[in-house]
Amino acid sequence: MDAFVIFFTRYLPAFADGFLITAGVAALAAPAALIWAIVLIIPRLAQWTWASRLVDAYVEVMRNSPLLVQMYLLYFGLPLLGLFWSSIVCGVIAIASQHGAFLSEILRSGIQSLSQRQWEAGSAIGMRRFAVIRLVILPQAFIKVLPALGNQLIVLVKDTSLVSAIGVMDLTLTGKMTIERSGASFEAFIAVAFFYLILTSTLGLVLRIIEVRAARRYG
Amino acid sequence: MFPVLQSNLPYLLQGAVYTVILSAIVVSCGTALGVGIGVLASVGGAILRSIITAYIFLFRGVPVLVIMFLGFYSFPALGLRLDAYTAVAISMIVYVGAFVAEATRGAIAGVPTGQTEAAKSLGMRKGKMMREIVLPQAMRLVIAPVLNISLMAIKQTSYASIVGAWELSFAAREVVERTLAAFQIFLGVMLIYFIICYPLSLAARALDKRLAFDS
Repeated sequence: MDAFVIFFTRYLPAFADGFLITAGVAALAAPAALIWAIVLIIPRLAQWTWASRLVDAYVEVMRNSPLLVQMYLLYFGLPLLGLFWSSIVCGVIAIASQHGAFLSEILRSGIQSLSQRQWEAGSAIGMRRFAVIRLVILPQAFIKVLPALGNQLIVLVKDTSLVSAIGVMDLTLTGKMTIERSGASFEAFIAVAFFYLILTSTLGLVLRIIEVRAARRYG
Repeated sequence: MFPVLQSNLPYLLQGAVYTVILSAIVVSCGTALGVGIGVLASVGGAILRSIITAYIFLFRGVPVLVIMFLGFYSFPALGLRLDAYTAVAISMIVYVGAFVAEATRGAIAGVPTGQTEAAKSLGMRKGKMMREIVLPQAMRLVIAPVLNISLMAIKQTSYASIVGAWELSFAAREVVERTLAAFQIFLGVMLIYFIICYPLSLAARALDKRLAFDS
C-alpha cells in the first residue's frame, strides 16, 4: 500500500496530463459525433431515397466493424492520400464517425416513436417541413432519447482509450509508459482505471441530473 | 483488383480464426458468468448484492482496453504466467460478465410482480419459484441485450492486438507495416469483421422487434 502511495504521488503529474488529454479528446469527439449524427439523419427526414440508403449502408458498416480498425484505416491511410494529420485528429474523426452512426440510430428511433400527428399539426399551422423538423420533431425526439444518448456518450468516453493505439499520450498510454519506465506493474493501470471511473461516473451523474431536469420540465 | 489483399488473404483469415475463437470463448464464458452473477444478485443477501453492484459499477465504468492491460500486467504479479491471448480472454470474460450481469438483473426485475406473487400464493419455495417461474421468463428478456453485448465483445476482441495478442487486427497491422497497403488491408479486414458480426446484428434487431411487438 505504501509503495502504491509513493508510486502514485511520483507519477501523479503524468497521469494528470493523460487525464486532460483523454478529457480533451472526449470533449472534441462528443460534439463532433452529435453534429455528425444530426447530419446523418437529414437524408431520411428530407426523404431523399438514395442518400438515405447510402446512410443506412454507412451505419451498418460502422456498427459491424471495430473502431480500432477504422482508426487504423484513417491513421495509416490518410498519409497515402497526402494528408498528414496528427494522431489526435485521426482519433477524433474515427471516434466521431463511428459514434455519429450510433447516435443517429438512437435519434432515428426517437423520431420514429413520435406520433405522426406532430408532423401533421406542424404543417397544419403552416410550417414548412424544415421548420417542423427543427422546431417540433427534433426537440421532442431529443428529450425522448436523452437516456440512450447519455449511455452512448459514456461509451464514447471509454472508447477514447483507443487513441493510445495510434500514439496519443492519453491516460491509457500514460499507464503503459509508466510501467515501462518505472518497473511498476499493474499499479499503474489501477490508477488509470481509477481516473477513467472518475470521468465516466461524473459524466453519468451530470447526465442523470440533465435527464431528471428535462423530464420534469418537458416530460 | 486488390493484389496485396489477395496475396495476404490466407494470413488474414488465419487471424480471423483466432478472432472467432477468442470471441466464442469470451461470449460463452462471459454470458455464463454474467447470468450466474445476475441471478445471485437477485437471490443473495445485502452484502453479496452490494459486492455485485460494485463489480458491475467498476467494470462498466472503465474501458475494456484498460481492463485488458490490468489483466495482462497483474497475472504475472500474482505468479501466473499467461500468454497475452489467455490474459486478454480472462480479462474480457470478467468485463463481459459485468454487462451480462447488469442485463440479467434488469431482466429478473422486469418479470411482473404478479408472477412471483402467484408463485408464492401457490406455496412455492424461493428456489423453485426462481427456477420455474422467474428465470424462464427473465431469460427470454435477456437474449436481446446479450446479443448486443456479444456484438460489442466481438468488435472489442480487436483491442487484444494492442496488448499483444495475435489475431485479425494484429495480423492486419503486420501486413500493413510490410506492404504499406493501408486501404486494401484495413478495408478488407473491416469486411471480414462485418461478415462475422452482421448475422448477429441482424438477429439482435429481429429479436428486438419481436419482443417489442409481443409486449
